[in-house]
Amino acid sequence: MTPKRIAVVGGGTGGTLLANKAVSLLRSEVSSGRVEVHLFADSSEHVFSPGNIDIAFRGAEPSSFRRPERNLLDRRVLLHERAVERVNLEERAVYVDSERLNYDYLVIATGSVARPDAISGLKETSYNFHTGQEDARRTWEALQRFNGGRVLVLTNIPHKCPPSPVEAAFLVEELMRKRGIRERVEVLFATPYARAYPAAAIAEVVEPLMEERGIRLYTMFNTDYVDPKERKVYSLEGEEIGFDLLITVPPHRGADVVFKSEIGDEEGWVAADKETLRHPKFDDVYVVGDATNIPISKSGVVAHLEAIVAAENIAADYLGTGKVYCYTGRINCPLELGGSRAVFVAATYERPPSRQRPSLMKYLMKRAFPAVYWEMLRGRVDPVFDLYLGKPYKVKGVGGA
Amino acid sequence: MRRVVDARGSFCPGPLTELIKAYKSAEAGDEIELLATDPGAKSDVSAWAKKSGNEVLEIKDEQGYFRIVVKVVRKGR
Ligand SMILES: Cc1cc2nc3c(=O)[nH]c(=O)nc-3n(C[C@H](O)[C@H](O)[C@H](O)COP(=O)(O)OP(=O)(O)OC[C@H]3O[C@@H](n4cnc5c(N)ncnc54)[C@H](O)[C@@H]3O)c2cc1C
Repeated sequence: MTPKRIAVVGGGTGGTLLANKAVSLLRSEVSSGRVEVHLFADSSEHVFSPGNIDIAFRGAEPSSFRRPERNLLDRRVLLHERAVERVNLEERAVYVDSERLNYDYLVIATGSVARPDAISGLKETSYNFHTGQEDARRTWEALQRFNGGRVLVLTNIPHKCPPSPVEAAFLVEELMRKRGIRERVEVLFATPYARAYPAAAIAEVVEPLMEERGIRLYTMFNTDYVDPKERKVYSLEGEEIGFDLLITVPPHRGADVVFKSEIGDEEGWVAADKETLRHPKFDDVYVVGDATNIPISKSGVVAHLEAIVAAENIAADYLGTGKVYCYTGRINCPLELGGSRAVFVAATYERPPSRQRPSLMKYLMKRAFPAVYWEMLRGRVDPVFDLYLGKPYKVKGVGGA
Repeated sequence: MRRVVDARGSFCPGPLTELIKAYKSAEAGDEIELLATDPGAKSDVSAWAKKSGNEVLEIKDEQGYFRIVVKVVRKGR
């Protein structure tokens, strides 16, 4: 009998957990060879991207945020350290180096890519910490060289990790104070949203702090283009801002393979049901994490929880239990405010984020996270979170609600 | 052309992200119909439309969500 194949494309936050989780939910099927879990990863190293904040604004050592992907996986996951060229959903096939692998279930977990080249003039004028560790390091170096003038932190949408632009602004301001040159530096923060943070309850915390720290806020600023000679950014809304140092969160797009396979929208996001994570047209295809078109934050927390839900749905479908797992839309993203304080942006599809007091405890939780992350990819920490926050899904169908 | 953008259940980053995405690929004269549950959506969209020189045609309370129709009048440069 040919084994049933689960093919996972993308060995990041969502794909790694999903592969591990699928093996643990179908343990005896995998051990007996009835099910195979294949993971395609285009890099042999797994990078903890939130570490880019520490690299760019605290000068942290990049290698401390990398681990070999193989070491993060259950040994029964079949890892292919190769990039998938394209997928064909009609043929139920994944193509790698012109070879074809047929699947029974496909999971698209290819993430999102920061694309400073998507806006005219942006790439050549800016530093950013979303395109990888090296660029994060360059941002740190530029901040070290900077000797006064105007720093603009410029947010473009869509992007992963909604808190990251605000964090950048606070940490730049703090760094300038630590370097003793704050009085020679103007810190500006521009965002496409109507307030400093898209969720009102969080903006109520962020805005007074920005004012207190002398960070000048520009709202509803959607970058149209950057003029490299003038060193000015122009918005679609008709405003302009000049800068000496430009730090940006570039607009993001889906992965190359999504465009090549023609399975996404114009920005490269793949359609998925926001509760089941299943593709609306192909019931053997699931999409998790940044890759989806779901209007939820592109964050590691979401990728993680969606991976759990998708793995449960695949296992339930394979085993024929009749259960359907529905993601509640839970998010829980730390937002650092400088001065060793943080809040958590917590919400679900039904409940907007509520207002919180910044605390040292939340800051310490955020800083402790890199150590916990590697364990989370194995699914080992979830029982603790579930204890405090409940399950990230509701179960419908047989035995469910 | 009218395009429906369903941003129900989105609080972070929220409906304005979805609206602006649709706006970037729209032509002058197009209409974007935004569905949202975020209580901030009405004021955000109105403020953004005013600033960007676009027009809010309709804001309606439906059962459990809002329907906001924006007409694209002006686009960037
Ligand atoms: C500076 C920064 C700070 C952040 N802070 C936080 C935070 O505090 N909290 C939080 O929750 N999130 C945070 N995030 C966001 C988080 O890192 C991402 O949202 C998360 O990694 C998304 O998981 P994913 O699995 O969808 O994508 P990724 O983790 O990006 O994984 C996708 C993987 O697929 C691979 N891939 C793409 N195409 C192919 C192909 N054709 N073949 C094989 N492999 C392919 C990619 O190389 C990548 O390894 C932060 C991100 C950044 C950049």
